[in-house]
Amino acid sequence: MVPITYYLWLGAILFMIGAVGVLTRRNAIIILMCIELMLNGVNVTLIAFAQRLADLGGQVFAIFVITVAAGEAAVGLAIIISLFRNRSTLNVDEINLLKW
Amino acid sequence: MPKLIEFSAPILTITCFLPLLGAFWIALFTKKEQEKLIKYGAFVISLVDFVISLPLVYYFDPSTHNFQFAERYSWIPSIGVTYLMGIDGISILLVMLTTLLSAIAVLCSFAAITERLKEYYVCLLLLETGMLGTFMALDFFLFYVFWEIMLVPMYFLIGVWGGGRKLYSAIKFFLYTLFGSVLMLLGILSLYFLHFQATGDLTFDIVKITYQLQISRDVQFWLFLAFFIGFAIKVPMFPFHTWLPDAHTDAPTAGSVILAGVLLKMGTYGFIRFNLPIFPEASKMLVPFMVLLSVIGIIYGALVAMAQQDIKRLVAYSSVSHLGFVMLGLFALNPQGIAGGLLQMINHGLSTGALFLIVGMVYERRHTRMISEYGGLSHQVPVFTVIFAITMFSSIGLPGLNGFVGEFLILIGAFQASWLYALFAVSGIVLGAAYMLWLFQRMMFGQITNPANRNLADCNLREVVYMVPILIFMFWIGLYPKPYLDMMGPTVEKLVERVNHPTYQAVAKKSQGTEQGRAGTVQRVAGKANPEGTPMRAKVNSPQLSGDPAAPLPQVSPASAGHGNGATGSTPEGRR
Amino acid sequence: MVQTLNIPLPDLSAIAPELILTAWVCGVLLIDLFIPKDRKHYVGILSLVGLTLTFLCSGYLYLRGENLSLFGGMLAVDGFALYFKMVFVVVVMLTIAISLRYLPLEEINLGEYYGILLFATLGMMVMAASTDLITIYLSLELMSLSIYILAGFIKKDPKSIEAALKYFLLGAFSSGILLYGMALLYGLSGTTNLSGIGSYFAQHDLSHEPTAILAMILLIAGFAFKIAAVPFHMWVPDVYEGAPTPVTAFMSVGPKAAAFAALMRIFLVAIVAVRPHWNSIFWGLAVLSMTIGNVVAIAQTSLKRMLAYSSIAHAGYVLIGIVAGNQIGYASVLLYVLVYVFMNLGAFSMIILLCTKSGRGDQIKDFTGLARVNPWAAAAFVVFFLSLAGIPPTGGFVGKLYIFAAAIQANYVGLAIIGVLNSAISLYYYFRVVMAMYMEELPGPLHLSTHPVLVFALTVMVLATLFLGLYPGPFIDAAMSSMAPLLPKAGVLASHF
Repeated sequence: MVPITYYLWLGAILFMIGAVGVLTRRNAIIILMCIELMLNGVNVTLIAFAQRLADLGGQVFAIFVITVAAGEAAVGLAIIISLFRNRSTLNVDEINLLKW
Repeated sequence: MPKLIEFSAPILTITCFLPLLGAFWIALFTKKEQEKLIKYGAFVISLVDFVISLPLVYYFDPSTHNFQFAERYSWIPSIGVTYLMGIDGISILLVMLTTLLSAIAVLCSFAAITERLKEYYVCLLLLETGMLGTFMALDFFLFYVFWEIMLVPMYFLIGVWGGGRKLYSAIKFFLYTLFGSVLMLLGILSLYFLHFQATGDLTFDIVKITYQLQISRDVQFWLFLAFFIGFAIKVPMFPFHTWLPDAHTDAPTAGSVILAGVLLKMGTYGFIRFNLPIFPEASKMLVPFMVLLSVIGIIYGALVAMAQQDIKRLVAYSSVSHLGFVMLGLFALNPQGIAGGLLQMINHGLSTGALFLIVGMVYERRHTRMISEYGGLSHQVPVFTVIFAITMFSSIGLPGLNGFVGEFLILIGAFQASWLYALFAVSGIVLGAAYMLWLFQRMMFGQITNPANRNLADCNLREVVYMVPILIFMFWIGLYPKPYLDMMGPTVEKLVERVNHPTYQAVAKKSQGTEQGRAGTVQRVAGKANPEGTPMRAKVNSPQLSGDPAAPLPQVSPASAGHGNGATGSTPEGRR
Repeated sequence: MVQTLNIPLPDLSAIAPELILTAWVCGVLLIDLFIPKDRKHYVGILSLVGLTLTFLCSGYLYLRGENLSLFGGMLAVDGFALYFKMVFVVVVMLTIAISLRYLPLEEINLGEYYGILLFATLGMMVMAASTDLITIYLSLELMSLSIYILAGFIKKDPKSIEAALKYFLLGAFSSGILLYGMALLYGLSGTTNLSGIGSYFAQHDLSHEPTAILAMILLIAGFAFKIAAVPFHMWVPDVYEGAPTPVTAFMSVGPKAAAFAALMRIFLVAIVAVRPHWNSIFWGLAVLSMTIGNVVAIAQTSLKRMLAYSSIAHAGYVLIGIVAGNQIGYASVLLYVLVYVFMNLGAFSMIILLCTKSGRGDQIKDFTGLARVNPWAAAAFVVFFLSLAGIPPTGGFVGKLYIFAAAIQANYVGLAIIGVLNSAISLYYYFRVVMAMYMEELPGPLHLSTHPVLVFALTVMVLATLFLGLYPGPFIDAAMSSMAPLLPKAGVLASHF
């Protein structure tokens, strides 16, 4: 059986990959996907913990996170679409009407 | 601990808030076009306020150091804030000065202010409420509220109706004062919590905090500094004075009058009301430092004033010099010095206020303040010349006028503290005479060289009307200062006793051993040894001085400080 | 673990405010379908009615002194939650009042605006009441998702969309970070309940446990994003500038206050045991936020951006209260939030008062000469600025006084000095606007809105700001007593002080 710690590391690595992606990638959709990756890293972590603690709370939490992530993706994509209609680009470096 | 003596009518509240009501009336119920109504309305309000404040003098009991006309109402009980007003010998004169100068300030603006009258008089009246409240408040919270509120109308007076670099000067004035006062606020909060820890009593009551709180020497030092920054900027003392010339120069005449006459006094008032009695140890410890700054202020102010081309700037720097004097008197820490400082505060308010009024008069006629533009005016405007001459002599301290009495007392006080202090102070007087006389000479004597001055109109009735009260007070204080000194006497006496100045200590070496525990002893014994209300006449009020300023040095008895207070060991037998 | 199905239905009257609001939002969204495009302000007025009911209901519960724990410790209905709920409802009512004038200007004829705003309110209300990581996360997301949409509500304006995108990306990113911190807390303590985590932390010495420290840091980073504290503030000026002004006004007050409420719940109940660690971090955040916020604000020419930096600085002031960590400190957070609602919303409303279709009103120079055109509007703005700068007799002064009093009492003298000096600096940039209004000449005609609801809302805000400054007693008492339920858990003795 795979030890729980492996799952925790998997979660942490997914989270890190997502975080680094958010900070380095320039395409808005990829950034959105990286955020989803972070959330999934958290989900893996939560479920691993739930398994180790033999507690359902973590799994419940993970289900809620999945739900919220879906909502987040919907809102995010909507915003990205209306941005694309306005500016015809998804590169966050070119989205600079407001000074950073 | 001074008691709070109540009075049958809430005179203080009425005096303080009548201008505020007037401001509301002008703001809400007058129209922009009704200029006459606004002008005369504002004047009537300020005049009525002065009249209402007269009973304060009449009913003031000069035989006690207690706070009189006290009023106390609950305000924010959860943090121990009360609406607490009261005046003692220190504040009564300042309150009177404020009501007088405010009325004059309104009157002198009639011709000078031609636009946005409504806002202007609202600001002046708000300012009056702020100033009066600051002098009357006996609750730290209330005091701070008034202290800060006052900045806002003054900012607008300078910024909207001023001249020159008015925006710069206005915000500079506001920021400088604010920087000082926020640090003072932290000092106030510290005192509040220290008092709470010591007594379990949650209060901002100034009297209680002053007389019940025993603070260790180190803490006193830091808190003294916090208050010092707030007040020193306001005074202004030497390194913090740079806002003053700008604000004075660019303010409208009434603004300068109020600024010089009253606002600067708040700094010195703060030192007397808070720094000296709350931090006696630190005050004594810092005397050399304070005196040094005062002396630098006196000499630097005078020298810079001498170099000015602009009359208003010259008067502004003369303020730095004069207030250096006041501070020197206060930190001589003996009855003469403090009484002199207090009287000099009033004197400076009158004479410098009058000087600014005079500058305003010539400015209204010629629209320039350059000294070089004038010359030989004495031929053209005799009444003006007389008024200017008297004011100038009052400012440089000619015997027979008010300036002399104050400076003289300060010199006595300074001399008792150290001959060195007095030496520097005297040099300041000499310089002061120099720049004022030179100014007068350049403006008034000689031939009229500038053709623009040939048709200069003399003072009109309104101008004479607002100058005369000031001139009367100049002569009154100069010739017969006794009533004024009497009023402040017991309070000053009590204050000195509390601070228990080291000049007395230094002579009576035997008491050195008790140095450590003294702060506490003074506080506790002072209360017991002098039952409340025991009349304690200040020795300053010796008849020789009051009657004839030129009389020889009065025999000042330093024992007054240790009067009835053997436990502190401060009776300076050795000195005699 | 076997769960029985015998779940007793709790007494729902305790969450009546949320229930009323939820029902109302659904109703509003439905009714909206039948209201013609040019009458959409009826939806706003309808929402106001619902909010009034919610407010009354919360107020009733508050006065009754409810102190309940519901749904197995998921939600608490205590003074703390109800205090914040009432504040949020007031915020949203004022926001709607100022939106009624703004939306037609931008030609937003969508009734959903109000519905989404109410959803955000619901999120904030639940957030203040949450005592479980799951409810905190859910309510936080409900609030955030609603506001992402609101920020981009002007679909035609690229700036608005850009603001929405920036807010969304960074907001979602920070939620992710927060969530990982929560997951770690759960993993450590085995429960998502805040009190449960708190007792686990109290029983085990975790001050050198790297997972605990990492969780704490992640939580701080996540919350710092939400309250807009430096160095997690980069999004603030852009989003505030681009978003529709009423939404900006709302964002600068509501979500910030909600984040503070949740932050206090988590840090004071769950991980109070590692207080020495997080306290020093908050100390740094407070100092950085105040200093950078105020200093950068000086350089701004856009009023919205200036107020954005000022709101960063204000987050710093509020953090002082948390750092101080005594009863006054925590109560000062509550008091300051209340004061801040009126003064900051007031300042943003002034922009709406001036804005026209051409977009005038969000530059400082647009206010030039306002005092001559309308002295009352200018005076109102002066009151808001005095309050923001902490000058008496305004609520801002009392709020700041309370915060600095807390710092002094807890012996954070350095922090208090930095704080007061900063508040003096802030006067400089606030008064640049005052200077423009009073002391500079009018370049051209200035059109002011006289929309009755907007004028009424402004009057309310001015009077509230002044009232809080002149008679703060009842509000101080309310803040003190509302904080009481959290104090024992935070290990603070609830004496009078």
